[in-house]
Amino acid sequence: MAHNIKILPGATVCEDCTLEGDITIGGGTVIHPRVSIIAEGGPIIIAEYCIIEEYSTIIHKKSDKQENPPKPLFIGAHNVFEVACKLESIYGHVGESNVFECRSFVGEEVKVGSGCVIGAACTLTAPQILADNTVIWGSEHHVREALEKQPSQLLQLDFLSKVMPNYHRLRKPNVHKRQPSRQSQEPSPKP
Amino acid sequence: MAYLTQPDYVRYICTCGQLKPITSLYFCRHCLKIRCGFCICHEVDSHYCPNCLENMPSSEARLKKNRCSSCFDCPSCYHTLSTRASLVQPRQQEGAGDGKVENKHQKKMYYLACFNCRWTSRDVGIPDQPVASGGWPERPNPFATQINQLLEYYKAIALQEKQEKIEKERKKFAIRGKYLTLTDKTGLTGAMARNIAGLPSSDSGSSSIIAKFVPSQASAEVEELPEDYFTKEVNLNQITSMPQRLLSPEWQPTDVSRLHPIAKLLSVKRSQRCRECDHNLTKPEYNPGSIKFKIELLAFYHIPEVKIISYEPMKAGENSTVLLKLSNPTAHEMTLCLMNPEDIPQVDNEEEQLENSLEKSLTLDKESAACKPAAAPAWRRAAAPCVRAVGPPVRVSVPQRDDAAEYDDDATHDANDVIVWRKANKLGVRLQVATEAAASRGGAALLALALQYSYRNTVPPAANAPNQRNHILYTTALLSLGNVA
Repeated sequence: MAHNIKILPGATVCEDCTLEGDITIGGGTVIHPRVSIIAEGGPIIIAEYCIIEEYSTIIHKKSDKQENPPKPLFIGAHNVFEVACKLESIYGHVGESNVFECRSFVGEEVKVGSGCVIGAACTLTAPQILADNTVIWGSEHHVREALEKQPSQLLQLDFLSKVMPNYHRLRKPNVHKRQPSRQSQEPSPKP
Repeated sequence: MAYLTQPDYVRYICTCGQLKPITSLYFCRHCLKIRCGFCICHEVDSHYCPNCLENMPSSEARLKKNRCSSCFDCPSCYHTLSTRASLVQPRQQEGAGDGKVENKHQKKMYYLACFNCRWTSRDVGIPDQPVASGGWPERPNPFATQINQLLEYYKAIALQEKQEKIEKERKKFAIRGKYLTLTDKTGLTGAMARNIAGLPSSDSGSSSIIAKFVPSQASAEVEELPEDYFTKEVNLNQITSMPQRLLSPEWQPTDVSRLHPIAKLLSVKRSQRCRECDHNLTKPEYNPGSIKFKIELLAFYHIPEVKIISYEPMKAGENSTVLLKLSNPTAHEMTLCLMNPEDIPQVDNEEEQLENSLEKSLTLDKESAACKPAAAPAWRRAAAPCVRAVGPPVRVSVPQRDDAAEYDDDATHDANDVIVWRKANKLGVRLQVATEAAASRGGAALLALALQYSYRNTVPPAANAPNQRNHILYTTALLSLGNVA
């Protein structure tokens, strides 16, 4: 599989994680060690200021319905993927300010809006569309609608991006926003 | 841990006839009997909030309706709410100075948030508070006046009834005149007679409340349902669930937007008392943060513990072997004898039954009668043991508990046919059991095992009581040995 990983400046990506396929990681995003992001069905684009914690998995699944060229899986800004959550998606879009709590599972045909919370250990497998600000919690998967989006984790992001380099080897940003012309001429380096 | 997570394989028979694992039994050192939660008195020692651990006298607790004033539960998922702080800049006044000055005036505002379902007090429009705890607006009860009226009414009735009772008592003992009065003949009380006669009654205070009370009227006319009630699409996210409504009975909100934080219910520390001798069985420490007890007479510390190590499959009409572990939790050496429940000498029991029948004849309360061993056959009806020990009774001596014993490794090996191993205050015992021929296949194989054990009473005896320290006590345990094969 062709590895084509673009890390924008300002992103903190630990070396000890599995990144496969065509992945773009936005500035300000923090990716902890032992994370797997697998873009087998098409590219994955992660926007700014996301937190992806240990052992979480994001997979862009292969699908028969896939258009050609494959549509990217776009993950909006300010999303939080907590420890060991799993997102399998063929839908092209995950909104912003979502929280995927510890050990939650979001299946292939779930379309996640913005400001949603998928509670700890909740599994969503049936095809469905989560409206904005949906909160799912508990073993019985109670659903409620929040009034406003979840508050952003900017303080935590700040702290992580300061502390992470002290204890982990990081992947270096390899895309420079300021010279887009140069970047397009050169093939991005392979990790 | 096994007692918490696994089914109860070994159950003891309480003096009242209940079957309980050893961990939920008590042992009264004064009556030398096993007690369980059903046959003891529970008393409330103190009220406290389980969240902030604040202690509260019972009068205050009653005033606050047994709820904490500073802790709240989530109305959506019943989890405890947490206080969260947010920095808020006060509204910029027109013509105010530059941003630097504004920053200094940044204020901390607090709101309540649930970490489970992410409900916040902002969701329902409760304004943020400038202080971290307390000060949350209380929602008035729409029926407060009616409830107060009802309370007053019933208090007045109770008072009146009490007075009438006192009056009656007094009349009973009062020297009667020669002549029968009207009230004596008809059974009318003075108060009732006065009422009938239309005279103001003697106790005007309470009766005026009773007289003024207007009972609520049921009306046949009910507000009609809105036109679109059956056609409008229901949004389940906007409607509260039944448990959510019943959590706040005063308001019973039907709409999610009307949910209100629920003041946390108080917990109690309770002490438990033996019903027969009125001695305390457990008494917790007063401090709500402490989980220790001042008095803790648990069966686990006083009666020998039986555990099943392994057993052969039980076949109807055949003998098999069971390996048991016996341990002595007391600080004195214990002589243990395993036998069949029928072999327990009946002397004690007969005495009890005599006492029991005496009590019954005295028409004492039913409860204490139910607590008596006369109810013992009850467990037999519920769970008939079909396995019994065979052969001569197993008699062993178990050393006392020694906390330092685990550091010794020169275990005494007096293993024989009966004792499999021995270690500190525990020993493994091989027991021959026989299954009844009539036992149905697939039915539960229950072994009823009577334990005779010596017990040294460490309670200092009362001055006039005979100084008897060593006792022979009996208890019966039911062991589940799987199913009859």
